[in-house]
Amino acid sequence: MNHLFKLLLLALPAMATAQNPIIHNQFTADPTARVFDGKVYLYPSHDIVPPEGTRKDWFCMEDYHVFSSSDLTNWHDHGIIATQHDVPWVNAKSFSMWAPDCVEKNGKYYFYLPAVPEDGRGFRIGVGTSDSPTGPFIFEDKPIEGIMGIDPCVLNDDDGQSYIYWGGVSGAPLNADMKSLAGKPTRMEGLPDGFKEGPFVFKHNAHYYLTFPWVRHEGGTETLAYAMSEKPLGPWEFKGIIMQESATRCWTNHHSIVCYQGEWYLFYHHNDYSPRDDKRRAARIDRLAFNPDGTIQEVIPTLRGVGITQATARIEVDRYSKAHEGTTIAYNDTLNPFRGWHATLPGAKGWIAYNEVDCSKLSPNAYLTANIKASENTMLTVRDGSPKGKIIARIPITVEAGEGRRRDYRNQWYTATAQLEYIPKGISQLYICSEGTEVSIDWLQFKNPESYFTPATETPVKPDGEGFVRRWTLLEPIDKPNPSNTVFTDSYLREHFYMEYFPGQFSTVPRNGQRVKAGGQRLTWHTLDSERYNIKLFRFADALDKRLYGVLFWAATIIDCPEEMTDVRLSVGSNSASMWWLNGQEVLLLSGDRRMVRDDAVSNRLTLKKGHNIIRGAVINGPGMSDFCLRFIDKDGKPITHFTIK
Amino acid sequence: MNRIKTSLLLLSLPLAASFAQTGHPYIHDPSTIAQCDGKYYTFGTGGGGLISADGWTWHAGAVRPGGGAAPDVMKIGNRYLIIYGATGGGLGGGHNGRILTMWNKTLDPSSPDFKFTKPIEVAASDGLEDNDAIDPGLLLDPTTGRLWVCYGTYFGNIRLIELNPATGERAEGNEPIDIAIDCEATDLIYRDGWYYLLGTHGTCCDGVNSTYNIVVGRSRNVTGPYIDNVGRPMLQGGGRMVLAAGDRLIGPGHFGRTIIDQGVEIMSCHYEADLDQGGRSVLGMRPLLWKNGWPVAGDRFKGGTFEIESERRGYALELAVDFVRMKQEREHFWNIDTTKPVTSIPLQTLDEVATSWPEGDIALRIGDYMMRPHQRWTITPVPDAGGTLTGPYCKILIEGTTRALAATANLELTTVPAFIGSDEQLWRIEQLTDGTYRIMPKAIPGQEGLNTKYVLYSIADSTPTLAEYDFNTDNSKWNLRSH
Repeated sequence: MNHLFKLLLLALPAMATAQNPIIHNQFTADPTARVFDGKVYLYPSHDIVPPEGTRKDWFCMEDYHVFSSSDLTNWHDHGIIATQHDVPWVNAKSFSMWAPDCVEKNGKYYFYLPAVPEDGRGFRIGVGTSDSPTGPFIFEDKPIEGIMGIDPCVLNDDDGQSYIYWGGVSGAPLNADMKSLAGKPTRMEGLPDGFKEGPFVFKHNAHYYLTFPWVRHEGGTETLAYAMSEKPLGPWEFKGIIMQESATRCWTNHHSIVCYQGEWYLFYHHNDYSPRDDKRRAARIDRLAFNPDGTIQEVIPTLRGVGITQATARIEVDRYSKAHEGTTIAYNDTLNPFRGWHATLPGAKGWIAYNEVDCSKLSPNAYLTANIKASENTMLTVRDGSPKGKIIARIPITVEAGEGRRRDYRNQWYTATAQLEYIPKGISQLYICSEGTEVSIDWLQFKNPESYFTPATETPVKPDGEGFVRRWTLLEPIDKPNPSNTVFTDSYLREHFYMEYFPGQFSTVPRNGQRVKAGGQRLTWHTLDSERYNIKLFRFADALDKRLYGVLFWAATIIDCPEEMTDVRLSVGSNSASMWWLNGQEVLLLSGDRRMVRDDAVSNRLTLKKGHNIIRGAVINGPGMSDFCLRFIDKDGKPITHFTIK
Repeated sequence: MNRIKTSLLLLSLPLAASFAQTGHPYIHDPSTIAQCDGKYYTFGTGGGGLISADGWTWHAGAVRPGGGAAPDVMKIGNRYLIIYGATGGGLGGGHNGRILTMWNKTLDPSSPDFKFTKPIEVAASDGLEDNDAIDPGLLLDPTTGRLWVCYGTYFGNIRLIELNPATGERAEGNEPIDIAIDCEATDLIYRDGWYYLLGTHGTCCDGVNSTYNIVVGRSRNVTGPYIDNVGRPMLQGGGRMVLAAGDRLIGPGHFGRTIIDQGVEIMSCHYEADLDQGGRSVLGMRPLLWKNGWPVAGDRFKGGTFEIESERRGYALELAVDFVRMKQEREHFWNIDTTKPVTSIPLQTLDEVATSWPEGDIALRIGDYMMRPHQRWTITPVPDAGGTLTGPYCKILIEGTTRALAATANLELTTVPAFIGSDEQLWRIEQLTDGTYRIMPKAIPGQEGLNTKYVLYSIADSTPTLAEYDFNTDNSKWNLRSH
């Protein structure tokens, strides 16, 4: 059962986020990215927490996963492609499945991995073959002859020749089989002194680039550095640093460089999910750029990473692109770093910037939700483009018990909502700005509310396939401030449904836009088509910003029958009580505290006239979500659908 | 404890103790019953919960931090997953709820291992959408090992999400699915190729006027659509009744299923009001029956005088005594005098036959039911004898006598002249999922501990014995008929 479950889980897509680190449910070190058939495939090594009986303070890897993405944002985990038990020559107890590579040649995919062999010491490099970038890979019985070391990288040169590089740093041409050396390994010349490993070689504008992790100072940690050449095996000219040492002293770094859809990206790793142990690492991405002379600009690691974030996805603002001085980030759960981070804004003038948010799919009535924690009432704004930019939303943060809040929410996470004042066009850089005191924020998410109604057209419509009448002229709610539904007895309802609220209540046929005066209220009729079988009066009132609870709704519609229909029944469900009239005759009462249930109650047998028939209804509610559904059924209980609604 | 029970009995009708669980079973929205180190636990709204040593007598004492509403609990591996709804930052009457999960190695607050992990949010509602994220119910799908949660209230839709059973976190990439409207306190169960969504309809929290009731729809897929017995989707308000008011108990809600043995199931719930306990909200248990693939609440067993009819042959459990003929003035049936008045013949009475019965122990057999005194059994819950999840222990006496059915050390049956309340004279009466009963002695003389294995059994059409319970044979099953 566990095994089955594991497979099912693996088939699920990873959470849709772009931020660093990019894979959120497991460690992913030494990320080799490759582009095959328009998609990016990621082949990291897979750090795990050392199991019982293995060295606690060392790297521990027993298998490889492969991931893919078409937007560098959503990553799909294709599951395990190799374990230390599957590869014939690998010592199955060595937990030494280190940095791999995968390349395509003539329609075949070659997966290279270093590991400790069953017989002997040190590392060897072996290869597996597949017809697909996600495997299954068939592995050779023995490692590649002539290579001792780790960190394979394969370059397919434009002339069809392939080269393999490894260690710190050697290289050799590969035979056409991609599984054996075509020449003696040579040591790469021209590289600086100091520890080197993890070579990644690529070609761009006729330049060969040899990039590699490098310890430049005695006792230091790894940078990413590079050298250039006009030939694939050097000699090389050292050019400098691509990325500085980790600010938090993660000892290793390991990388790959790809061009995807015209942009260059650096994949690298950091121990984001293992703050106290730098042997468990997580893959990241940042943009990389070249100078006109072909040299590489230094890459500053960011939390934001790359890729466009949809406004309607969870925007993890603790993975910011920029932040005002004094902003801090902390783990949500120090015992489980995989639960992510939150950011704390220091108070007035504090801000966080989060770039590349796509707002183009937000509807005009979209709203914002934010997961927030504060110690006193304060305010956040979300702005477009700068800390002084146009306000998208104001989020009042009310955490103190009192006005409008029953419980104390100080220092507790909760989700605040806010209406939008302005919706940016297209891609925006969001600024989340503190307008008061210190506030912590875990995520933002814009939401498009569901759609319930569209304005009715002049064209008559038919009932839906189940016979439900979806076009109605609805009156804005009349105040009936009942705090509960317990009063809705038959006699109360008869009295209150027959009270005159507005002139012509039972005689005129309302038109769209017509206004009536009901008591002190001036109310408008709206002719609408419901997008659902049930008419959600609650949402009708909500969209007009009207009272939602303790209300009475009036509804009317005209149906046009092609012939007289006898022995039919009106079938209704309503929340809460309701009364219904056909052509001026009361035909149905649903009393009491009701939930809306399809076909909850039906009328006696009725006759629908040929031509126009007027249906009128009243729905009353205390604290519930008002709605109703209505249809006609024939003598066999089947819904009637052959009429039209004006 | 005895004092408490006595005073409760004094306050209430004589049979009240058999209608609801005893002790102090006051709770709202009880979680599915969980077992830990031999004790039973259920958690309710507002924090805390109930503990029972035997499943029958319940008292406060279970501990659950976090407050909020309507938790559920499930043992997964060697840990307990607790899930509950915390109504969120809602401005008065708001609907931004949060569903949280946490783990504990034990449910016993006195254990040194008793420590909840930090709660994690697995679902939330923002107060504006058609959902209120409270009232979660858990299902660990036995066919796939996947862990599902249904949640929501009358505010919009009931939703389904998936959790990772290893962590209690939301499964990665999982999006909620709407599976019902207009329910509260939902729960999911699986049986025999069907998924069942149990929901509570009606009015909550209005004491003796609450119309709360439990309804069900079913689906071949956990993701729905859940359809009721007349083909109506729960997304259109459908639902078949499982349990409503009755037995002086009003407003059942918050279903939970517990499988005790093969064919022995109960449903737990709360009643909004127990008329015999001042209208308080109390924990309830009912036998859970399955009829044509639908769950139905059985009736609480309240005792009475019955024929104990074997499901095997339809014969009746009786004392092995002389058959005493009833007197009748016979007419030839080809020569009936229709002018003669018709008289009523009284049933044979105990006095007419008892003198012919031996004085000491009398053995048993099974025979044609003839409504005779040696076939009529009065079954009565025994106060202070305790009980199980399925009900109180009962005595089984020949009607109008103190002659009691008892188990013997050699796994046979006897009747003793006087009931003395010893364990071999006490019986568990449990309605099975097919509506029949199993009848099980509390203990077998000479055997350690409570008996959970041997039941009253038809070893032959005419011969009863004690044998191991097996739901798959009618020999294990009996009908209690009052006729």
